[in-house]
Order: sequence, then structure tokens, then C-alpha cells
Amino acid sequence: MQYIIVGIGGQGILFAGKVLGAVALEKKQRVTGSEVHGMAQRGGSVISHFKTGDFISPLVRAGEADVLLAFDQNEGIRNLHFLREGGAFVVNVHDRSAFDNLKLKEFLEERRISLFPLEGYSLLKEHMGGNFLFLNVLLMGAMSGAGVGAPSLEDTAAAVKTLSPAKFEDANMKVLKLGYEAVVKK
Amino acid sequence: MEVSRRVSARAILLGNEAIARGIVEAGCLVATAYPGTPSSEILPAVAKYADELGVPMSAEWGVNEKVAFEEAAAASFTGARACAVMKQVGLNVAADPFMSIAHYQLKGGLLLVSSDDPGPHSSQTEQDSRYFAMFAKVPCFDPATAEEAREMVFDAFDLSERFGIVTMLRPSVRVDHCRQDVQEKITPLRPGPVKFEKDPSRWVCLPAFVRINHPKLNQKMVDIREAFEKEFAKYNYEVPAKGKATLGIVASGSAFAVVSDILKGAGRDDVSILKIGTPHPLPVKMVNDFIARHDKVLFLEETYPVMEMQLPDRTGIMGRWNGVVPGAGELLPEVIAGVLARVLGDDSLVGGAHPLLKEAIEELKILPRRPMLCPGCPHRASFFSIRQALPNSVNPSDIGCYALGVNQKAVDTVIDMGASITASSGLFLAQKAVGEEKPVVATIGDSTFFHMGLPGLVSAVYNRHAFVLAILDNATTAMTGGQANPAVGTKLRKGDEGKRVDIEGACRGCGVEYVRTVEAYDVAAGKAAVKEAWEHAKSKGEPAVLIFRHPCMLLRPEQPSIPVEVDQDKCIGCKFCINFFNCPGLVFSEEKGKAYIDERFCVSCGVCVSVCPHGAIRATSGEVE
Repeated sequence: MQYIIVGIGGQGILFAGKVLGAVALEKKQRVTGSEVHGMAQRGGSVISHFKTGDFISPLVRAGEADVLLAFDQNEGIRNLHFLREGGAFVVNVHDRSAFDNLKLKEFLEERRISLFPLEGYSLLKEHMGGNFLFLNVLLMGAMSGAGVGAPSLEDTAAAVKTLSPAKFEDANMKVLKLGYEAVVKK
Repeated sequence: MEVSRRVSARAILLGNEAIARGIVEAGCLVATAYPGTPSSEILPAVAKYADELGVPMSAEWGVNEKVAFEEAAAASFTGARACAVMKQVGLNVAADPFMSIAHYQLKGGLLLVSSDDPGPHSSQTEQDSRYFAMFAKVPCFDPATAEEAREMVFDAFDLSERFGIVTMLRPSVRVDHCRQDVQEKITPLRPGPVKFEKDPSRWVCLPAFVRINHPKLNQKMVDIREAFEKEFAKYNYEVPAKGKATLGIVASGSAFAVVSDILKGAGRDDVSILKIGTPHPLPVKMVNDFIARHDKVLFLEETYPVMEMQLPDRTGIMGRWNGVVPGAGELLPEVIAGVLARVLGDDSLVGGAHPLLKEAIEELKILPRRPMLCPGCPHRASFFSIRQALPNSVNPSDIGCYALGVNQKAVDTVIDMGASITASSGLFLAQKAVGEEKPVVATIGDSTFFHMGLPGLVSAVYNRHAFVLAILDNATTAMTGGQANPAVGTKLRKGDEGKRVDIEGACRGCGVEYVRTVEAYDVAAGKAAVKEAWEHAKSKGEPAVLIFRHPCMLLRPEQPSIPVEVDQDKCIGCKFCINFFNCPGLVFSEEKGKAYIDERFCVSCGVCVSVCPHGAIRATSGEVE
């Protein structure tokens, strides 16, 4: 499996790679991925690559990702070229109108890309008092909800528990489920 | 003391953590570093593992790379293993001792880890540290994966002791910042023993000794090249094609990893690869034998043609010298795929964006986001105060987050660490010669000030250079992830206490008479202080220092929450706040022609209230927490 995770520096996208890594390790899969640190991380476009299986390089080639997980819809659309035909696009949407763009619709259709949108900010406002720091866990939930070869909700929950402080456990589990359900019922 | 633990599991580690494990496990006694992307996570991980395993070693930040390298080098004079860690441009700072130490007949193993940043992603150059190894006549290991990097640490120490020479491990950003499963097999060697034996012919670099040592160094290169030819098959090996190869590729480091995955993915098993993990000194016989067996040979390495350059005759190969491989930039999968497509005449290897997607992105006006200072960053407020106080000033700046002040039109020059101060001197001198007196206000961070700012400041005091130096003290080394520095005073290892070095005191000690500290968030006080400092500098003919103080947002400081809003009636759409404050939480709606608060990013620091000249930004009434 090959994943591309994109967003804006500060949104916590490194966490997604850690969760995927922990899940894969549990399943005894080989893992390699690439992260962004330093200046490139400050508020600008950020991208993480993640691969499980028999790879040497941590980088995903354009057109080969199975899943594109986007913390920001603009960054997601900008990086759609990474997705293979038939890949899954899990995206945090803040402005639905962009997805009415005809060219974009046509592209997604032609490449048979499954779209899994969720309005993360609205969900966190409604259910988590507007604490947007939970965005990363929310999107991990959404990715498991999307299925598409992504880790199951149970595996993701176990990894999130291991990787985050115990005091956030209850909130994290709530948010994970929130993300899962936002996508799975569609 | 017995140090031993065995774990035969796999763990997922950042490449830098894998390197750190190697350093601790190889029995290194003294590890030093200065933070710099992509190398920054290595030393903290060394300290962490050493704490976990109870290894009696030192792991600490030097105030700059030269300091760090010299400390490690001298520690190795005692017979113990030592290493210094830095990024590629850090090696420029440490170049003086590195060149000199290359000539020494060392006793304990000495390892230099110099991390490269092809691209570059977070650097002022994309220089190739392997070139530096060649320049200094030092052997270099070039890992392709995290696991290999960890393994190479052991061999680099062994080789260093065997030949009495400093060795270099050159990971590139894709090795440093990869996250991979790595075999854990911890049986750390015991550091030591420590015994410094006086021997001026060995430890004093007088010209007379250098004349003896340089020919010896040349012989070491011959011997190490021979060793690389014969003994390092685990790093230098051939991945043969099935049947007769249509192309031979000589690749090292990340380029090897990328090209291997591409060829496998494309099912091109008609290409053979010679993987080189020791690019300097190049095992020339091995490479020439490979070249002789192939009709076409392509060289892939980052970022300079270091292997190519070492060939007695490179006219028969394809690489950088003849433009087949681009002369700049990272060798990303799409770049290598493009090169392969041309060399193999196989268009299926080229990807490229779908025309429909390209059009959609254009129609939706989606652009890549440039790096920006974080919401609530105190530097943003400081830059705003400086620009507003002296709009016609020239503003040299420095290496760190605050280089992003360029987004606020508050950064005019950046050269390297410490150059904000020396550039101010240069600009002052040029103006002085023609009788001009335009204000110069420089910005530098707390860590960068101690790194290389002090010599420039002393020079400016001594020579009476009139400018304002604004030290943006956010109590951390922020750009690289928040490391401690002298102004913070804390250290890495448990129980290891440091001593805080006072910035104000340091400036006064250098002879600066005007030293004032302001709260960075207080824009009114900041503006007044900048004007006052410049008046002092101009009238007294000397540098004045202003310290803007407020903790970095990454430290999550406790501070009042001041939710804000933009009064849509008062906002006239002049974009002043966008152009000069430039906060991710304060954006402009082209549709409405007005600014608004983007609650996804706003952290309610409240600073922007003092930014709008029309009073349109205000604290949300009644909701102040």
C-alpha cells in the first residue's frame, strides 16, 4: 500500500504517518515513509509519503498512491496526481463548492477515484468545542471509515492509544469514531 | 560498568533515530551537534537512548558547528570514540577544524555526520557534503536507507580507528527523515578508555608536522580505496539484470533507493545497478569493471557529480557532466523517471499531471502555500513594529524562522548564520563612505546570536558601526524543532544541568551601551523602542541592541486568549494587514474585498488588533476568556 498525506504545516500530519507505521509494524509489514521537518514545515504545504511492502525508497511516485489523505482540500486537489487510477481521496473539506468544478469532477470520474469528503472543522466545532488539534485523529478515523486497504478502526484506535498521551485517550476515541462515521455512512 | 540489552524486534524509527542508535551502540563517548535540518533529531535521540540504556556518555549542543566538531575531535584524542553532527551548511562553519583534523593520525574513532538537503527544503544551499570529504581527503559513507545508515555508523568508527582518520557519514534528507522499520539489536559497546598522551607531533598542526602528515594522508586514501574495493560488499554491490543488460546504472544514497523502486514498479529487469555506499574514495576498479561490461552507463547521485568526478575517464558515461542528469535539484522519483525514459526510450516511464486536473487546479486558483510564521508567532509582531517604526530602513536578517519575515517585507538580506550583523556593518560602511545615513535594523534569533552573532557584534562595537540589532528571543531554536541554546540554559541528558547565558549581559560585555528589552507582542512599545534605539545608534555612532522577547508558539506558552474579528463595515480592503502582518489566521476574501479571521488557524493572540490603520480589527466583545 502506498499513501500520500498532505496538509499545511502545523496541522499535525506527521501523526498520520506514525499511526500507519504502528499499525503496519503490528502486522509485521515492512514500512518506509518520508516526512517534512524544518522550514518546509512552517505553515506551508507539507507532504508525507508512506509505503508498506517491499520498497526501498520512502517516496511515492506520482500515479501510484492507493490513498490520498488530505488535511486541507486545496493541498489535496493539488496533489491528486499522486493517486493511481481507482485510488481513494479522503479529504477534509472547508469549501464544498470546489468539488462542483466540472473539470475536477470529470478528472475524478475518468480516473475512477473514490471521494471521501468530510467537513472536519464543522465536526470539531460541533462535537469538540472547536478544538482543531483533534483534526489529525479525526482524519485517521475517516481513513479507516473509507476502507480502501486503510487500517481498520480497531487497529487505528489501538495505534492512536499507544502514540498519544493517556489524558487524551477518551477524547481521541470519540473523535476517531466521529471521523469514521462521517465517512462510512456515505 | 556493563551496558547490555538485547531486543530482537523491529521498531519504526526516523532515519535520524536509527543513526542515533548506531552512535550510542557503537560506544561513542562524546557526541556533539548544532541543530540544523535535516540533522536536528539525531543528537536528542542519542541523549534519549543513552538515558534509557544508562550509557555514561556526553551528548550536548555546541554553540555552533565549529565548536561542536572541535569538541568531538579533541575528545577522540583521548582514545575514546566521538562524533559531531550537523547539516551540510554547518560543515561550512566547521570547515576549518575539519580540513585540519583530516591530517591527524587520530587515536579514538572520530565520526562526522553531515546531513545533506537536496532540493533544498530547508537550507541556503544544496551543496554535497561528499565533495567536502573529497576536498579534505576523508572517507565518506553514503547510506540509501535508515537501516544502512545505522549499520554504517559502526563501520565508520571502525574505519576511523583502523586508519586513524576522521570519517564522514553523509545521509541526505530522505534518509534522515524517512520513517522505516529497523532491526533492533542493542548490545552497546562500552565507551572509553580515556587517556590523553602528550605528543605535539600528533596533536599540534605546525607546518613542519603537516609536511609529514600530508603524504601520509595521501597513502591513507590509497589504502582506504583498496579497502572499499574489497571489503565492503554489503554497501557496494551489483543488482544484476536478468540476461543482457540494456543499461547499467551506478547509483548511491537515496538515488539508489528511488531508481530501484521505479525499475521494479515498471518491471524493467533489463537494467543492472551498481550500488555504491562508499562514494569517496571511489572504488574505481569496481566501477570501471562495471562500466566496461555495459554499453550504456548512467550515474545517479545527489547532489553533485562526486563519483563521476573521480573517474579517470568519464567521457563514456551519462550523468551530470553531459547534462543527462539535471545539474540542480533533488532527484525525486519523477525526475529519475524522466531521465530513465529518455535514456531507455521508454515513454511509459513518464508520468505527468493529467490535463483535466491541471485545468481544475488553475480554475480553482489553487497555489502551493509558501512557508509562513506560525499564527501567534512573536516574530511577526516584532517585524511589524520594526517596519512601522522605520519604514525606510534596510533590514538584514538571518538563518531561522525569522527569515520568513520576508513575507512581511521586513527582511532584505539573508546570507548565513550571523550575517544579519555583519551585513549591517557592511551596509553602514558603504553608506558612510558616501555620507548617507539610512537606518539599518537587523534581526537575529537567540540561538543564531550565540552561534555566530557575537564576533560580528564585537567588530561593530570596536569599529563604531551605527545600526540597530534586534534580537528576537523566543526562548528556543524554533525552526529546527525547538532545541535548547545558551539563552535557555537547559541540556539534553537527564540530570545534566546547564547554565543560562544572559543575552543582555553578553551584549553589554561586548561593549554595547544601549541594550533594551521589550515584550514582542506590545507593538506600540516596540515601535517606540526601535525609533529610540536608532536615535541612539545614529547620535553615538555605535550599534544599539533591542531584545524582543516572547516565547515561541511551539512551546505552547500560557497567555491570554483574545479572540478577534474584522469589522466588515470598517474594513476598506486595503490589504495593509495582509502585506505587513501576514498571518495565516488573517486572510483576504477576494470575493468580498475584505479581510476576515480564518478561525481554522487563528490562535487568538490578539496582536492584530494593533495592526489595522482603520481600526477594523477588534477583540470580540464579551468573549474574552
